[in-house]
Amino acid sequence: MNAIAFPAETMAVEGTVKPVSRLTLKSQLEDMAALWAWVEAIVAEYSISPDTAFAIHLCLEEAISNVIRHGYSGQPNHALTVDYASPNAHELVFTVEDQAPPFDPLHPSLVEELPAPTPEDFLRPGGRGILLMRKFASTIAYQRLKNGNGSGNRLTIGFVLPQ
Amino acid sequence: MHMQLSTQEMDGGITRVELDGRMDIAGAAAVDLKMNLVAGSAKKLLIDLQKVSFLGSMGLRSIVLPARAVLSKGGKVVIFAPTEMVASVLKASNIDSLLPIHNDLAAATAALQ
Repeated sequence: MNAIAFPAETMAVEGTVKPVSRLTLKSQLEDMAALWAWVEAIVAEYSISPDTAFAIHLCLEEAISNVIRHGYSGQPNHALTVDYASPNAHELVFTVEDQAPPFDPLHPSLVEELPAPTPEDFLRPGGRGILLMRKFASTIAYQRLKNGNGSGNRLTIGFVLPQ
Repeated sequence: MHMQLSTQEMDGGITRVELDGRMDIAGAAAVDLKMNLVAGSAKKLLIDLQKVSFLGSMGLRSIVLPARAVLSKGGKVVIFAPTEMVASVLKASNIDSLLPIHNDLAAATAALQ
């Protein structure tokens, strides 16, 4: 599956057929233990295949850990949210939002090809994790947010559900 | 389910480390120390991923770091029998260029000799 960035207007939740549900986490890696249980409930609700469930878990883990480690620079107790919506019967869209300084994990400088794996690849922003997200998500898009006096980041990750 | 790790000494000086569970961030944290201990003594390491149902980028790191420790002292490491999805993560990350993947045990142990 190749990732295709879709325009912001297609991310609107208008026409959503299922209620949007939100996972709220604090910016610490220990909080991510809640992620799998949340994904598991969605997987059950939509009868999602094990392979797609794997892809969702992989991409959300990567997106959230990027926010914690790089967006918030490892500082605990900041908030981030993950929402999901089903804009149609064949697609699930997850939205990861934070109030961190601008950080675009899809920026080309972070997503260059990495032919030889090194341990450092797994610690720095972007790198292999972004390659994995691009491989396993159907769509992925970044948007910088400006809310009043604050700012933040939104990563939208879509999955086409096999028929 | 928490990650489980067990080791077995095989013929030919091969250490087989079997991982069982989800290698997400919590799973990776659960096995990091044990993996490093295994890597500290093993010279021929067979990493058995048959029972790993999920592998994320932090889990990859928990495999690559100890594997590189073995390789850096002249040892050998192979990955054995990952599921199709786990194998696709390894290949998408190009880890298989560093750590060969084998689905046949005889071929995996032969590659370590």
